[in-house]
Parts: sequence; structure tokens; C-alpha cells
Amino acid sequence: MEAESRVMTDMYIIDKNHLSFWLRRMHDGKTLIAPVRTASGEIVLTELHRMHEAALDGPALMPSPKEFLLPQMEQLFCWSEDGLEESLDKRRRMVFGIRPCDMAAVKILDRFYLDGGIDPYYAARRRNTLFITIACTQPDPTCFCLGLGTGPFLKEGFDIQLTDLGDRFAIEAGSEAGNEIIKAFPHIFKQPGQIDREDIYEARLASQSRFERHVNLEQAARQILSGRLTDEFWESVALRCFECGGCVYNCPVCTCYSIIDRAHSSDSGRRMRIWDTCMLKGFTRMAGGALPAEKKPYRTKRWFHHKLIHWPEKYGLFGCVGCGRCAVSCPGGIDMAAVVQMMKVSNQTE
Amino acid sequence: MEKKNIYMPMKARISRSEALSRDVKLFELALPERFDYLPGQFVMLSLWGKGEVPISITSTPGRSEGIEVCVRAVGQVTSAITSLSEGDTLWVRGPYGRPFPTKPETADILIVTGGIGIVPLRPLIELLLSDRKSYRHLDIIYGSRNPSEVLFAEEASKWEEKGAKLILTVDTCDTDDWKGCTGVVTDHLGKAEVDFKDCTAYICGPPPMIQASMRDLSLMGMPDERIITTLEAHMKCGVGKCGHCYSGGRLICDDGPVFTYEEIKRYNLRPGMDLLD
Repeated sequence: MEAESRVMTDMYIIDKNHLSFWLRRMHDGKTLIAPVRTASGEIVLTELHRMHEAALDGPALMPSPKEFLLPQMEQLFCWSEDGLEESLDKRRRMVFGIRPCDMAAVKILDRFYLDGGIDPYYAARRRNTLFITIACTQPDPTCFCLGLGTGPFLKEGFDIQLTDLGDRFAIEAGSEAGNEIIKAFPHIFKQPGQIDREDIYEARLASQSRFERHVNLEQAARQILSGRLTDEFWESVALRCFECGGCVYNCPVCTCYSIIDRAHSSDSGRRMRIWDTCMLKGFTRMAGGALPAEKKPYRTKRWFHHKLIHWPEKYGLFGCVGCGRCAVSCPGGIDMAAVVQMMKVSNQTE
Repeated sequence: MEKKNIYMPMKARISRSEALSRDVKLFELALPERFDYLPGQFVMLSLWGKGEVPISITSTPGRSEGIEVCVRAVGQVTSAITSLSEGDTLWVRGPYGRPFPTKPETADILIVTGGIGIVPLRPLIELLLSDRKSYRHLDIIYGSRNPSEVLFAEEASKWEEKGAKLILTVDTCDTDDWKGCTGVVTDHLGKAEVDFKDCTAYICGPPPMIQASMRDLSLMGMPDERIITTLEAHMKCGVGKCGHCYSGGRLICDDGPVFTYEEIKRYNLRPGMDLLD
């Protein structure tokens, strides 16, 4: 787990040939999770058994790494004649090879689930999960973390961050836990030389130049706050919403869930929680049938307002890290970047 | 030592149950541990296999060992709960939410309530009446669908004895011996003896009633920050995490359910209604 304040550590260099040795040795007792190419060619985050199977060159992972902290479905507790039994997942995990934007999203989830009333299920997983991120050198066409401070490189918030330098990685620790696993194998890390530093600089510069999208969320937020966006604007957005919920399910920052009971017998069963999405009509349905959020324009508006206005108000951070997953999943093309662009156009035509 | 799991309820035994009307039942719950709460707060009630629902606490803090809750059979869970009776078990967690301010700094107090809306206001009325001398007028306008659905009718007459002015009204009068008024609560706001400019109003009832009462009181000169209501929303967690009650950047469960009219306007909270209506 990352420490509260940033842990300043030196940067080291590790030869790519040593990486799999290092991963194998340091994940003792932990489940190693990494992007793996499935038989159908997709790359998903799953348990990694053979080191060479890690696929680090794919696009943004679907679903996002949040499923290891907030699974699509999980058991909260069981009930029976004997009382209640809490179901905390205390398995130790090491998640390897995720992008900086996803790590930045985890930091936002931390604020939400660990501030105020602590969510014990999230907290247990978070405490037992170590994150090794890989700085992005090949952003997707849908990516727009650049300018949001959530990528393609992180200054803090990770346990360990790797930067691909061709035949070697630059490696930094951002937490005590990260520091420890570097210190445990001093013989495979070397101090960076002048060439390494130049290569890191160049890798960062090259990556930044590869971004195709530049999305200004600050400007979008200002425009919403100006009150000039009409109901008609949100209706035009909502016309293109298929109500599939893909944006929410794939978003690494979206947190909403539902709670359901599964009875096994008359006196035993379990209480579960599952991902839910505010884009669906029934999300706010009350007993008796009242539907406060019946209209689609209101629901789409609420999602964008939540991410662009209310998250910053409450936590000083946008509820978006620019990972671009909503752009990949939305069949109607009303993802974050597209709607911000629509706002810009509506502003100019007024 | 880990903190208490916010999702785990405690076992409560129904020590008394009473049908208040055709579809409303009052339950007295005996709890296994000390339970401190304030008027306006709610609990999450569970019935295994059916689910969990947010329900207002209707007992007065410090007056009884356990708590009283009032449940109306509306949906799946509440219908199952109202079929329970004395000796049965319910599971409870809470209390949650922002309570009513119980020491208003105005000369007068006006309570406007409709139907089951009396439930969260009942402990507030009791507390305010125990300090009756601090206020000039304490008027209660209480609307119901018909005379047989007036909840806590006997108690209401006791509030009158303790110094409250009680205006009862029904939508439909189907008996000959009804002594109260007819019409909706807003028809009778003028009968209140309060000075609207120096008065705190507490409102709870069906969403259209809340909306109309807030609007009318505001127009009658009551400052928006003294018009106080409590909102309801679909909730799964009650602790500000599940997102179901999110509206206008506020979580009804955690930032509310008690809001002033000023806050409702500022955050564009529309109780039980679509924002684009």
C-alpha cells in the first residue's frame, strides 16, 4: 500500500532480462495480476502464471483495474442461524503493468472509499494490493491524460513505476512498500547513468508528442458553471445515449453499486454488491414506482456534472483521468472527450 | 482493531407492533446495544432475502430503550416488513443522515406535514413541545388522505394539550364526524398564527406537497434558510457510497436527508422529481 506522503527514492535501472526474475521473486505469497492476451486476442488483467505471457503493449484494459478493488460482484457477508459472517477479501495481490491513468484513478477511489465512512471491503483489498505501473509510451488514439496530470507519467501515487527504455526499464518507488521490494534485490538494479537519464527524458517527450486528443476539462467545467449550456444541449447528447451503461462500467473512477440479497434457504443466504450505473432509468426508482431520474437528458447531464463539477468540489480532482475507455465503449459517441468537444462547439455557435 | 463494518446490521427484536392504518405499521425495536440518534435521522432495515430499506426513526431520543419505526407497505421490502409482528426479528444499522435542527432561533415554529411525513417529524414535535415556553406559537398543519388514515391521531390531540395549535385536514372526508378541515395543507397555511418572517418551518410529506409548501411559505415571506424539509430517495447503502441518492452534487443520505429550501434551490435538488420537468 502506498504511504500517505510521497516517499522520495532514487531511480534505478533494471535490465529487461532481469524483470521476470524480479517479478517471480518478489511476488512471493501474493497473486500476480498482469495484462495477459487471451485465446481470442483480447488483453485482460488476470492472474499471470508464466512471466512471458504478460502483454504490456496493448490498449487501455477492459475492464479497468478497479475490478480488483471493487469487483463486479462481491459478497459482503453471509447470514444464518448463527448470525452474520463478514466476507473480507484479504488476499495479497500485486498488480503489474497497469497504466498511470489507472493508478491515478485508484487514488481517486481511495479518496471516495477511504475518506469519511471507510468501506471495509475496498480498504481490505487496497491494503493488500501493490501496484506496479508502466509509464505510457504508446497512448491510444482515445487517450487524453496529458494535461490532466494523470499520465502518461506519474510523479507520485504509485508503488512502483517503470519506464520502458528499449532494452531496460527505469524503475522508481513511490511508496514504502515499493521501496522495500526494490531494496530486497539490490544486485539486479544499477544506478542510472547519463545515457539512461537522457533516454528517460526522450521517452517522456516522445510519448507526449503521440497524443492525438487534447481535452480541456477545466474549460468544460467553467462552461457548465457559466450556466449557458441549455437543456436542449443535454437533450442532444441524450439522443445518442443507448442506455447501455458501458461508460460507467468501464470507467476506472465510477463507484456506484447496488446491493442484493441471495437467499440459500429460509434462514441462510448472502448479501452481495454489484456494479450499478446511473445511466439506467431504474437507478433511482423508489418503492411505489416513483422515478426521479426518468428522463435520459437528466441522467447524462448528471454523469458529466458529477465528474466535472462535483468531484472537483468535493475532492479537488476531476472524476475523469482521461483513459479514453468511454470513447471505446460508447456506441453513440458521447464519451467525455466528445461531449467536451460538443460543449465547445455549442459555445461558439451561441 | 478494525473499525466497525458499515454494512453489517445488528439484530433487533420487535418488542411491539401496532397497525396505525390500512397499510402503515408501527414497530418498537429492542436493540442489542446503546443507540444514540436525533430527530430526522434514519436507519437501514433489513429483512434477509428481501433487502434493505431506509426508514425514519419516529421515537423521541432518550424517551425509550429501543427505537420506534413506522413502515408503510409500498414496495417489496416494506410489504414484507409490515407482515411482521411482535417477537419477529429485523436487522438494523444506523442511525444515518443529518438530523433536524432542534433549537430554532425564531419566535415561532410551523410544522407542515402530510400522510406518512409525520413520522420523522414526530420526535421533533415532542422535543419542541418539551421546550414549549421558548416559542410564541407552535402550529401544526397536518394533512391526510381521509379521516381513517390520520396517523398518531390520539397523540396529535395530546400535542394540542401541550400547547400546539393543530390544524388537521383531509383530502377526502368519508365520515360524518370529522371535526377537521378538508383540502390540501397549503390551503390552510393562512390559518397559522405564526409570524412568517420570524418562524422556522419543518415540512415533510409527499414530494409535490413539500414542493408546494416550500414555495408558498417562501412567497409568504419566510426566509428560505428557515424552511426545512427532509427528502427521500432510493438508497442502497445509507452511508454515502452507493450513489443511488445522488442529486445535484449532494448525497441525500449523507448530506441530507434534512435540507433547507435555500440548499434545495442552490443545489437544484428536486425531491422525487425529474430535474428537467
